[in-house]
Amino acid sequence: MTDTAPLLQVCKVCKSFPGVRALHEIDLTLHRSEVLALIGENGAGKSTLMKILAGVQPPDTGEIRVDGQPVEIRTVNDALDAGIALIHQELNLADNLTVGANIYLGREPRRLGLIDTKRMNRDARDVLRRVGLDVDPATPLSQLSIGRQQLVEIAKALSINARVLIMDEPTSSLSAHETETLFDVVKDLRNKGVSVIYISHRLGEVKELADRVTVMRDGENAGDLDHAQIDHDAMVRLMVGRDISQFYARQQHPIGDTLLEVRGLATPTWPGHRLSFKVHRGEIVGVAGLVGAGRTEMLRTLFGIDRRLTGEVLIDGQPVEITSPIEAIEHGLALVPEDRKQHGLVVDMSVRHNVGLAGLHRNARTGGMLNQAQEDHDTAEMIGKLNIKTPGPDQVAKFLSGGNQQKVVIGKWLALSPRLLLLDEPTRGIDVGAKEEIYKLMERLAEQGMAVLFVSSELEEVMGMSDRVIVMHEGAITGELMRDELSEEAVMQLATGRQKSPAA
Amino acid sequence: MNAKVIGITVLLAALCVFMMIMTYDSATGDIAFAKAGNIENLLRRTAMYGILGIGVALVIISSGIDLSIGSVVCLSGCLLAIFLSVTYTPFEGEPIAQVRGADKTIVLKGDVALFKPGDRIRYWGGRRAGNAVVNVTAVKPGVSSDGGVVTEITVDQALSGDDTYGQVAKVYAVTGATDTDATVTIRGAHADLAARDQITLAHPKSGLRQLTITGVTVDSDSTTLTVNEKPGGVTNEWVATLLERNQYMSIPLALLSVLGIAIGLGLIHGLLITKMKMQPFVVTLCGLLIYRGLSREIAKDQPVGFYNEFTDTLSPLATGKVTLWTAADGTSFGIPYPFFIMAFLMIAAMVFLNRTIWGRYLLALGRNEQAARYSGINTDRVVIVAYVICTALAGAGGMLFALDANSISPSSFGNFFELYAIAAAVLGGCSLRGGEGTIIGVVIGTAVMQVLYTLTVMLKISDRLEYTIIGAVLLLGVLADEVFKRLAAKRRAVLQARAAQPE
Repeated sequence: MTDTAPLLQVCKVCKSFPGVRALHEIDLTLHRSEVLALIGENGAGKSTLMKILAGVQPPDTGEIRVDGQPVEIRTVNDALDAGIALIHQELNLADNLTVGANIYLGREPRRLGLIDTKRMNRDARDVLRRVGLDVDPATPLSQLSIGRQQLVEIAKALSINARVLIMDEPTSSLSAHETETLFDVVKDLRNKGVSVIYISHRLGEVKELADRVTVMRDGENAGDLDHAQIDHDAMVRLMVGRDISQFYARQQHPIGDTLLEVRGLATPTWPGHRLSFKVHRGEIVGVAGLVGAGRTEMLRTLFGIDRRLTGEVLIDGQPVEITSPIEAIEHGLALVPEDRKQHGLVVDMSVRHNVGLAGLHRNARTGGMLNQAQEDHDTAEMIGKLNIKTPGPDQVAKFLSGGNQQKVVIGKWLALSPRLLLLDEPTRGIDVGAKEEIYKLMERLAEQGMAVLFVSSELEEVMGMSDRVIVMHEGAITGELMRDELSEEAVMQLATGRQKSPAA
Repeated sequence: MNAKVIGITVLLAALCVFMMIMTYDSATGDIAFAKAGNIENLLRRTAMYGILGIGVALVIISSGIDLSIGSVVCLSGCLLAIFLSVTYTPFEGEPIAQVRGADKTIVLKGDVALFKPGDRIRYWGGRRAGNAVVNVTAVKPGVSSDGGVVTEITVDQALSGDDTYGQVAKVYAVTGATDTDATVTIRGAHADLAARDQITLAHPKSGLRQLTITGVTVDSDSTTLTVNEKPGGVTNEWVATLLERNQYMSIPLALLSVLGIAIGLGLIHGLLITKMKMQPFVVTLCGLLIYRGLSREIAKDQPVGFYNEFTDTLSPLATGKVTLWTAADGTSFGIPYPFFIMAFLMIAAMVFLNRTIWGRYLLALGRNEQAARYSGINTDRVVIVAYVICTALAGAGGMLFALDANSISPSSFGNFFELYAIAAAVLGGCSLRGGEGTIIGVVIGTAVMQVLYTLTVMLKISDRLEYTIIGAVLLLGVLADEVFKRLAAKRRAVLQARAAQPE
């Protein structure tokens, strides 16, 4: 009987965090020798589900079955006993140890109470061979590329006889070649009886690799696709839950004169490249590119966090000297950073104090005394205007959902009425509803004459929201596309380094 | 009010009640703990340690640490004593180069025109030659063995030995002395004498008396001095040497100099931590070592102090009090002055932390320095200000501790004070993660530590256990806080889960 039961079954699993319902009655089935792709927007609950399967977090309710038998997964060791191993998005390896020591970390073979290095490395060589990695186990991990380190992590999972490998965005920091190697390893493992749950945003990869697709949206099942049904539009429709054109409802409105002009800007991360572009009043400019293309660094340099090596920045035609966020704010710039919890918010402070933070200096009374009335006023206005869902202005920011946290960060800046809003991955990790609100807000702000420059790794978002798209590749701007020139293919061509042919 | 502040206040109250019960003497009905003297002492100690605690609390809120406080306290105390050091030098006197006793000769360095034949002079301060009052018979220039110019004075009596130490000064005949109003009249009009200068009264054979002048009346050929004690038995046979009081710095200048040096040290700490990105622990640990050594060096590892020089001026700042009532037996109760200083600083710090943008910056950057920087806050400047305030308060506290102790030894003064201050801040609700803490909590935390100290003394627990008790209470306090926090988080999670549960 157990032969016919699926390898892994998730039944009606629920999980809540303070302020967020992360998962609601999720079902998932994984068969033997299968690659199941799990897709969904950021914040759809994929990572939470995977953490539950890996024993990092217990579910609130629901059941997990392995070979048809209910299992209790409370800890990582429970998961490993059940044969489930998670390959983390951020690798969980110690780069000060050797490859072999990483594979057997916590399970070191011992002789006379001491680590039996010889046996450890011999065993490590065997599992490394299974993932096609030909390195000496005595090599320090830090000498391996990220792609190879990932294979070490997979080898580690195999060494504990994992039957289910969960891979969370494994290709996000891999080169094209490393990605191909990884795919070969995954396919090989599948043929040898290992099952893989593969989480990715890259629908192209999903199409190539997956036997079946499960789509999540807002913590719920949005639908499954069998191998034959897997195509790009079908996946997007299930992820977004409606037609894309409707989702990114842009209205055309007149674009004003030039607000920001950048001439030959060089960032410390990519000192060899010069960036030049313009942003106009009332215009939404998207910045597309692969992860690591230098987009965040460009925003950081504009905002005075990173040092500008050369080049000029002009606002309203006047050259400006911006060497710190203080000066950037004085010139009417605002930055909603990529890492909300590290750079955007003081998560342990209240909504009120976060909204007020950037305006403290501007609003201060004589002698540097706080202007609490202004802070109260701004907070109330932003809670209303941005529809921030919070029990009150004194709620501590960390108890808000990602989307509402992001609105607090945006509110902090809008209270200062900036002229140029820089947004770095503004919808990362927030739910679909909040996403839509942020899109509408961007639209409204542009309509009011604000210039918006936003970086996004989600192609649909860039294409849907931008009047114009700047595409970057390895630190350089490889081209600009007007709204009517936009296509997924055109953006990807530029994002992978092919220059736009000179306008005919 | 903040839950942590309530918690620590309850702890303080419980400790005080416990102490009152334990020190109740059923035979006499006395409660030793509640005696005026003890309460005053507690207030004074709480005030002085509290000043240090307030400073370190601001640094801890910035998510830093200052380990140098104890050494800054010591350095400030030593500097204040040195800046206010008082010396008495004779009017119309000179240090000697050499005394040749049998030759009746005193040799002075250089060409000295001060003494003439017929002058009476006094020699003192020798190691082998005794003090003497003699008459000058001749003065002539000479040459020393190394070729320098000297002045050789011949006197009418042999001195009791040869010497290279000591000094000589003119003496003036005492023409009168009264005990009723404590005056001494001497020959000559000495208009440059002033109150707080001293006179040495010497009898050629027997007595020697050092008196401090409190008033001067100059006549045409005599000067009448009122002095600090009755001259008693001084006759016309006595002579007087006049000593001028020299204070190295004026009191305001000394206070400002010490404060300025402390601020300078804080500035250095802050700059190293922000601009050079050094760790606060390391920077201030080095400070702890450096300033301790410097203190011992400038004080030559000898105790330094204020003697009785400032009992009416500066010392009461630390030792005095505002008397509230006096009992029939003459004992009184009052609020010690340092308590007012601390209260003022406490209120200023509370306003700074809660009502100014700087305080808000400090709270924000203490929790998330990056987010504060991204919000356009000059985080470096705020951190530097926190370190400057911390060492400035350590400097101010150090001066009060030194004035209170009156004499301090540079090798031990202020030892462990940084740990007292940090412990009080933590007990009072500061988190070493930064961004969290209240000023009032820190002051109450300091009071708890002082009551604990009193506990070891009054309950006759061996003072060897003092640190153990303070450490244990601190540990339990932080543990209790953590337990409460977890309970609250658990309750919140349950409530949230219930609220999120679909109907």
